[in-house]
Amino acid sequence: MASSIRASDGDKVDRAGGSRRGRWRRVPLFVWASAAFMSVVILMAVCAPLVSPYDPIQQALRERLKSPTWFPEAGRHRHLLGTDQLGRDILSRIIHGSRVSLIVGFAAVMIGGAIGGSLGLLSGYAGGVVDEIIMFVVDAQLAFPFILLAIGIIAVLGPSFGNLIIIVGLSGWVTYARMVRAQVLTIKEREYVLAIRGLGGSMWRILASHIVPNTLAPFLVVATLELARTILLESTLSFLGLGIQPPTPSWGGMLSEGRSYLDTAWWISAFPGLVLMLTALVVSRVGDWLRDVLDPTLRGT
Amino acid sequence: MQGLARFLAYRLLRMLVAMWCVVTVVFIVMRLSGDPVPLLLPPDAPIAEMERLRHEMGLDRPIWVQYGVFMSQAVHGDFGRSIHFRTSALQVVWERVPATLELAFASFLCAIVVAIPAGILSAVKRGSTYDNIVMGVALIGQAAPTFYIGIMLILVCSLWLGLFPTSGRGEWRQLVLPSVTLGAFAMASIARITRSAVLEILMADFIRTARAKGVPEFWTIVKHVMRNAAIPVVTIVGLQLGNLLGGAVVTETIFSWPGIGRLAIQSIYNRDYPIVQSCVFMTAAMFVVVNFLVDVTYGLLDPRIRRG
Amino acid sequence: MEDVGAKRDGITVDGLARMLRDGQITRRGFLARAVGLVGSAAAAEGLLARVVGAQTTSKNTLVIGQSADISKLDPQMSTTVNDIAVTFNLYDNLLTRRLDGKLYPSLATEWKLVNPTTWQFKLRPNVKFHNGDPLTSADVKFSFERSYDPNAKVITKSILTTIDKIETPDPLTVVIHTKQPDPLLAARVAFYAGQIMPKAYFQKVGDDEFNAKPIGSGPVKFASWVKDDRLILDANRDYWGGKIDVDQIIFRPLPELAARIAALLKGEVDLITKIPPDHVERVSKAPNTKVEGVLYAGLYCLSVASQKPPLDSKPFRQAMSLAIDRQIIVKELWRGQAGVPTGLVVKSDNHFDPTLPPLKYDPNQAKQLLKEANYKGEELTLETPIGFMVMDKEMSEVIVSMWKDVGINAKLEQLEYSVYQQKIREKSFKGIRWTDPTSAYNDPDGMMWRHLAPGGPNAYWFRHPRFDELGNGARFSVDEKFREGAYKEMARLELEFLPLIPVIQPMELYGLQKYVEWKPYANQTMEFRRFNLKMRRA
Repeated sequence: MASSIRASDGDKVDRAGGSRRGRWRRVPLFVWASAAFMSVVILMAVCAPLVSPYDPIQQALRERLKSPTWFPEAGRHRHLLGTDQLGRDILSRIIHGSRVSLIVGFAAVMIGGAIGGSLGLLSGYAGGVVDEIIMFVVDAQLAFPFILLAIGIIAVLGPSFGNLIIIVGLSGWVTYARMVRAQVLTIKEREYVLAIRGLGGSMWRILASHIVPNTLAPFLVVATLELARTILLESTLSFLGLGIQPPTPSWGGMLSEGRSYLDTAWWISAFPGLVLMLTALVVSRVGDWLRDVLDPTLRGT
Repeated sequence: MQGLARFLAYRLLRMLVAMWCVVTVVFIVMRLSGDPVPLLLPPDAPIAEMERLRHEMGLDRPIWVQYGVFMSQAVHGDFGRSIHFRTSALQVVWERVPATLELAFASFLCAIVVAIPAGILSAVKRGSTYDNIVMGVALIGQAAPTFYIGIMLILVCSLWLGLFPTSGRGEWRQLVLPSVTLGAFAMASIARITRSAVLEILMADFIRTARAKGVPEFWTIVKHVMRNAAIPVVTIVGLQLGNLLGGAVVTETIFSWPGIGRLAIQSIYNRDYPIVQSCVFMTAAMFVVVNFLVDVTYGLLDPRIRRG
Repeated sequence: MEDVGAKRDGITVDGLARMLRDGQITRRGFLARAVGLVGSAAAAEGLLARVVGAQTTSKNTLVIGQSADISKLDPQMSTTVNDIAVTFNLYDNLLTRRLDGKLYPSLATEWKLVNPTTWQFKLRPNVKFHNGDPLTSADVKFSFERSYDPNAKVITKSILTTIDKIETPDPLTVVIHTKQPDPLLAARVAFYAGQIMPKAYFQKVGDDEFNAKPIGSGPVKFASWVKDDRLILDANRDYWGGKIDVDQIIFRPLPELAARIAALLKGEVDLITKIPPDHVERVSKAPNTKVEGVLYAGLYCLSVASQKPPLDSKPFRQAMSLAIDRQIIVKELWRGQAGVPTGLVVKSDNHFDPTLPPLKYDPNQAKQLLKEANYKGEELTLETPIGFMVMDKEMSEVIVSMWKDVGINAKLEQLEYSVYQQKIREKSFKGIRWTDPTSAYNDPDGMMWRHLAPGGPNAYWFRHPRFDELGNGARFSVDEKFREGAYKEMARLELEFLPLIPVIQPMELYGLQKYVEWKPYANQTMEFRRFNLKMRRA
């Protein structure tokens, strides 16, 4: 019992026991590898113009569909990962595409997280009618086939970058809301919170110093899982022609464009697909690990 | 039991209200998205002709009147006449329901029947080649976009290995690839969750007790796994089934599967409101039913939930 | 099949051929065994070539994979390429245009111009509709009149507009009076809007029921239609032209290209449409399939769909055309399976002007013209569908890039096909869009005039008095010399003002199983008749 209450220094209530610092040594290898991978990707996105060998939107029709230069039957050219159906360098497009995929991913997570997180907080803390209404909206959105809404909106408003981010962001707020609400409900009933309220502590202080810090960890878990999902969602929207508009490269767009060449010029899809899947994989595995470490009862969200 | 019944009734009521909301939202959004009349007439049709058609279809009345008419008809199961097919909208959608349900349930079956045993076996043989392969495949299943999985399956399993037909609907073999594609994400998630649940149990105390007692291990595992992993699995299944029903657009397009997803999308573009409304209603209804069943299962599995 | 009587170890040439076809042995396996039969490796190679070329089947059904589902079975409610593939087989026209480009009798056995404004058609006797009703001149009159009936919900109203009055003196004679002399009426009735529908049946069931259960007189009749799955047509055993070589034709929509090609390669479908040039090699190199191509009797053009600046300036439009390197598009994107047009009249048309050069590529002159036009960098939008026309998206990206290279601030927008259709109706494009006009009558009247006449689908703003005068004059003239002069002048006018910028004349590429003997039509009508379709059987 004693270990479940800490003073109000915001220190995380730790179910698994043990101090936080000692846990760093138990971080498995793949998490370090994943962190390294993500750093590379982020670096790539930031330094894209410096790092990419060619201009990603420069077409070269005479160099169409060339296989990667290290293939046996490839001609003499300097495209490390080959060229696509308009002769653009795949490696450069992957590098620049990381910007799009990451921006869409992070922006969507922020939008979804902001909306979902605040609604979840509100719902959990306020309870009563407010909670009913918000949970009801959650149910309604879940009942609705989201992809149809996405298509409808983009068809009407046009496939701009901003619209895409909003749509992708809106697709996920529900998960944050539910999770945050569940956390808030749990913490709200804890003895020390009840004690503070009994003593007349203000709502804002309780929220700020107790509730919010305790929701950060599960929030992070959901955010990483959501990041993986939004990256994949962008590629599905590209498949439907509603994603990032050409000529801007995006991993999902490249994967989609190359899909009829999978058994001929397979490198057009394979390499961006690999990067996209690795990123989604890495992010979601880290998310899973975080969840297992921080609070295994979240499994299933 | 009374607690359970009340809980379920409450959930059901909420779902029904949610459905009504969804249908209303779609109604409004579709009306705002534009006018279907120009799509029905030849490009050089005179304005008078368009006005006449609009009047005939009731689109020139104020929106709340249209809504009133719509709701009063909908309650009787009449969602209007499809603008494109010129026949009862609900009828058109209803005709596609079997295909959608077939695909959704086949995917769901794949997810359960394949993933759970695979996960259990994986945990039991932890660290073996089998485990590594299965978990590797599961990771890919979770990280690959649906359309990519679909096309790869066509190329590999259909064209190169010749195991299955490439597309269409008819015999059972045409159902395999689309179900695997659609269910890939769910299968992968469930396999991994089952595996972790089983691993946890294998290390738990009561297993050692059971072993000490000489109770056959397998059924103990199964019983405890079912009990502990059931809730997360059921949650995922519930969510995924919603996806499977409404969001199978990609799979339907690739495999030319005549389900509701593609119909809904074409109808959105064609501004065929009655069809879109019927599709959304159908999907929401199926989702409600499924979630209701999920809630029943929850209620039976976990008494704590019944107390709300 | 060559009768090589040699039999060794129980293996015959036929047996080997069957094993190869069924996939039990590979080509190399075939060669290995064949050497034993015919003596030398060279002979074995020759045998393999013959065997592979002579694939056979025992199937009685023709399965066709198209890129989209059928939308309407009423021939006057839709003229899209996927739909006319069906309606030219469910129904017959009075005349038909065969592969040699000439008109042949179909439902009409004779036709002649009685006087400059009167055509007379004699109908074939004893033709029956699928429901047994006899086909008479009343049905012809009904079908044509409906096609331009202002009250009917048809989209063919602007096609047979030269007709003034139709008389039916007897059940097998149709007399058509045109408003002015119309030398092309015979060609017009051979194309869409000219399909003959059953009057009695239609009047009994009405628009909607007819579209659900259509009746025609063609070589196949409607059996069933499951949307987005398959349309099944049964062979009409009593067809006046003889039963076609199969018992059933099935149309399946396979919108995903990879799946469509896979279905062909695996033998699940016998014919597929719309193969992009990049995939031709795959299909033609596979042992069981081949590619048939035909130069499209039409063009892929960019339609200048707006008069917002800078598109209102003639030098600007000319610059846009000069900036496009069509040669490289043909050579690299289309792998040579296309031609560079010389103007809006194609080679198969009457009065094609052979002195016109292929449209020029001159980026320097383009930049000059931009200066002349005082172009200030306003944004220009090209709106493209995805996969509706072959390579539309790719060509759009290339063209936008070429425009950017000469300094035009161009932007690309992808639209889903039905949104695109809607914009066509509402005429709400932002700048430039694609269009693929067909030369329906092998005459400039059918393409250049039809599209740019007042009210035509691409006459957004273009109005030139001389052009209209010539167009109207030539349409109603029987003086071929006059028509020649008129059309040549109109072609030059069009190239000067460029309301339509021709880009390429593509090859239409179809994939077929080797045992399907059929050649595609340049005007996309995809007719199957006894004389043009043969399934090679063992």
